[in-house]
Amino acid sequence: MSSIVISGDTSGTLTLAAPAVSGTNTATLPAATGTVMVSGNMPAFSAYVNSAVSITNSVYTKITFQAEEFDTASAYDNVTNYRFQPLVAGYYQINSSIYWGNGSSLTSVRSTIYKNGSIYKIGAVTPNSTIMDITTLVNCVVYLNGSTDYVEIYGFQNSGGTLTTQGTTSAYSWFNGSMVRSA
Amino acid sequence: MNLAEKIMALYPSLTQQDFLTVITLQNDSDGKGDYIAKWEHPTLAKPTDEELA
Repeated sequence: MSSIVISGDTSGTLTLAAPAVSGTNTATLPAATGTVMVSGNMPAFSAYVNSAVSITNSVYTKITFQAEEFDTASAYDNVTNYRFQPLVAGYYQINSSIYWGNGSSLTSVRSTIYKNGSIYKIGAVTPNSTIMDITTLVNCVVYLNGSTDYVEIYGFQNSGGTLTTQGTTSAYSWFNGSMVRSA
Repeated sequence: MNLAEKIMALYPSLTQQDFLTVITLQNDSDGKGDYIAKWEHPTLAKPTDEELA
């Protein structure tokens, strides 16, 4: 390989800017074909529950993370559907926590990642009667196609009655994600 | 009586484990309430809306 070819197919300019410091730096491109990702096209978001969510016994219930900490690409809907639907295709690290508080009445609690409306990954805990501080966590890397694919979080519990999530600050029940590589 | 209780009343042989595996009840937090999203029980038929009314 002996040359670098820069080609354009529409109007506008591409600027490669050197850092505003003296000295020599080398950026080596990999010997691979793909889209170069920079911060501007790598969506990331973080949201949390700021109003308790009621979850009926044995019913997977969508968690409404209404408060945003950041949403770099406006890809998280914190008003209507409470879903992350990025417009850049790629692989995304998704994380979520639901804080249940007292677990003494629970036999099973779950945080669940739904992809396109169906269960995708489950994080489950079976508390024992002495546990008073239950959090369920779920994490995964998921491919999202950059157009129609989306992810949501559902909670599940089977205490025998209705429970509400506990804690209404960003520390308790949260949902976040970020692109980790392009398609 | 919530949806799980209605189903349990209809089929007393069901267990909580069934709601973790072969039956999925769901609420999309859209104001439309709870519904059966998946019913894969090997022997019991999915209840009709009339049976759950």
